Amino acid sequence: MQQKSLIISIILTLFLFSINSTQAQHQIGNGRISGDFGFNGMYYIPDSTIGAEKIDSKVRANAFLNILYSNSGFSAGARYEFYQFPLIDFEKIGYQGQGVKYFFADYKNSFIQVTAGNYYEQFGNGLTLRAYEDRELGIDNSLLGTRIKVTPYKGIYLKGVWGIERKNFDSYLDRRDFVRGIDAEVSFGEIFPVIQEKGFLTRVGANFISKYEKTSDPLIFTINSGDSTSTQAEIPADKFPSNVAAWAARLSFGYKDFRIDGEYARKINDPNISNNFIYKHGEALFLSATYAMKGFGIAASFIRADNMEYRSQRMEKNNSLLYINCIPAINRQYSYQLIGDYSYVSQPNNQIGVQLQVNYQIPKKSKLGGKYGTDLTFNYSRFHDIEKKPVADAITNGTPTGTEGYTSSFFKFGPDLLYQDVGFEVSHRFNNKKWKLILAYNYITYNLEVLQGHEGIMRGHLVSSDLSYKITNKHALRLEAQHLYTKDDEGSSIYAMLEYSFSPNWFVSIGDEFNYGNPLKEHRTHYYNVSCAYIWNTTRIALNFGKTKEGILCVGGVCRAVPASYGLGLSVTTSF
Amino acid sequence: MKKVLTTILILAASLSVFAQENDKKLSKLPEIDLQTLDGSIFNTKDISNDGKPIIVSLWATWCKPCIAELLAIADEYEDWVNETGVKMYAISIDDSKTSARVAPFVKGKGWEYTVLLDVNSDFKRAMNVNDVPYMCILNGNGEIVWQHTSYAPGSETEVYEIIKSLTKK
Repeated sequence: MQQKSLIISIILTLFLFSINSTQAQHQIGNGRISGDFGFNGMYYIPDSTIGAEKIDSKVRANAFLNILYSNSGFSAGARYEFYQFPLIDFEKIGYQGQGVKYFFADYKNSFIQVTAGNYYEQFGNGLTLRAYEDRELGIDNSLLGTRIKVTPYKGIYLKGVWGIERKNFDSYLDRRDFVRGIDAEVSFGEIFPVIQEKGFLTRVGANFISKYEKTSDPLIFTINSGDSTSTQAEIPADKFPSNVAAWAARLSFGYKDFRIDGEYARKINDPNISNNFIYKHGEALFLSATYAMKGFGIAASFIRADNMEYRSQRMEKNNSLLYINCIPAINRQYSYQLIGDYSYVSQPNNQIGVQLQVNYQIPKKSKLGGKYGTDLTFNYSRFHDIEKKPVADAITNGTPTGTEGYTSSFFKFGPDLLYQDVGFEVSHRFNNKKWKLILAYNYITYNLEVLQGHEGIMRGHLVSSDLSYKITNKHALRLEAQHLYTKDDEGSSIYAMLEYSFSPNWFVSIGDEFNYGNPLKEHRTHYYNVSCAYIWNTTRIALNFGKTKEGILCVGGVCRAVPASYGLGLSVTTSF
Repeated sequence: MKKVLTTILILAASLSVFAQENDKKLSKLPEIDLQTLDGSIFNTKDISNDGKPIIVSLWATWCKPCIAELLAIADEYEDWVNETGVKMYAISIDDSKTSARVAPFVKGKGWEYTVLLDVNSDFKRAMNVNDVPYMCILNGNGEIVWQHTSYAPGSETEVYEIIKSLTKK
């Protein structure tokens, strides 16, 4: 009993500790301890009408705790994750287990920074190396190893990394693959301040990465010659390169409000499961140009990626695992409920595309602008596959495997449209400041076959509105309404959500999505959701009840499948 | 009864320890390298405002409530600066997919904030931030006196009250 009360008091103390902490973090000598905690749980109810299956353990949760200690230049931290019985979407992608898979110690002064343990890192735009995490998607490809950053002179930045990529909750002990890389960046404006004073920006950078992976098994495949005879062929284990190299060079140039950025990356000699084991080099080019002045901004970008999927293990197929690099999806990202399933998925092996966004603010206090101005946004993006001509060997063999694969002319758009978005958005606040309205129209073309693996093209018109009304200084209502009109895929849908907020603590919302145009009558279902959240400083507690449609969840062009579900969810996040 | 007493005693003791610590020392921002919009490296230890209060906001161009919050403050910002001398740092966690669009976006909205980029979420991690929008207020000594996550319309009033109380001291 004594013990029990001790435990209770420790728990209570910790609780009070965290309450106190919103004003001050915890000092130990000159050091400081901080951290954050997240819990996301759900009680699942089977529902055959939406395809929510009956699962063996109905209560599931994801939880983690981060602890960080820092003392002047020194810091150390660890994250404990409990995903042993995770939410079913995480189970589906294999993110299941528990333990401390992230811990590090780091020392930094103005000349050098050294890290041992797990770390996240990005070289340039990430075309060759990007170790990052996205908790919502269940992606964590941190590197376990060491990192050194050196600043020999202000404006010159050098980095070196050496490590093994995290693979969910698997052990690192039996891993035989690792990643090494160096990056250098020179910022001329920082070395010669006169450049910066004149309004110029000039930066150049370059990096080199090498992945090591020893293969012990040969790959057996079939060759189909024209006369319908097929023979077995083999890539012997020693023909798989143990070292796969990639490099990139980048440049940024700016003058006053104008700026261009460019990066070219190349990968050599990487037969892997995603490219049918061809030996062709990979390459990527990313360009962006922006111009901005008060009340007006324009941003245009271009991307081409060819055979640039770069992973720690060549046989890995899981979409969220072991990527060394990240080819960005440069299209504009929307958070609209109804087109969540039609978000563009970045195609590191095969895409060429452009993106253009223009922002304009009709000036404040003008006739059209009103007292607070009216914001207009225009957006256009279009992505195709790249043009490919199979090499002679690939044609004779009836398979590209083991050959150079194909040739491709660099700036040519391929025959298949992958994604297109034409969008227009108006945002206006009315003179009494109580009402605010965002109206948007998008025409989306989405290649279901390439991006989701089932036949067809979805062409849809989306009209969406977001209306807020401030009742008093603290009470506000927000109404979101959307209509997707399409004859393709699952047909048209409408969505509405009403949110009431009582600043700064309470949010209550109720929403419904109705797929009224589904070609299958029995699938014309309502997906309703009721939720309530309480926020107190850095703590957020939310309850929600409702149905989730089967679909995909995308964050920045990286997506994962979301199974249909029905039930009661609880989420708690806090930082201290 | 004894157990209850022990519990209460331990609680009281620990509370008083923490209370003392609160009086003693408030924490400052971690020192992390960010980028400015003109491409230089900027360390968060250089976030300063001549002894006047500072607001630090973590946001992203794809985050609707973040933008609603920054818009709401933008309306009042001129008045706030005149009355309290406050300075706002808006740190974007947009990564390489969208970070090139931050500058045109900010200028398009006509925001007067100091905008910085945290392209691989290093600052977000060091601050233990789970989700954006996140906001904290620093007093004249650069110490964190208030933190908040998410945005509800009207919460800018609370922000303003805190800044005003900091200027009075």
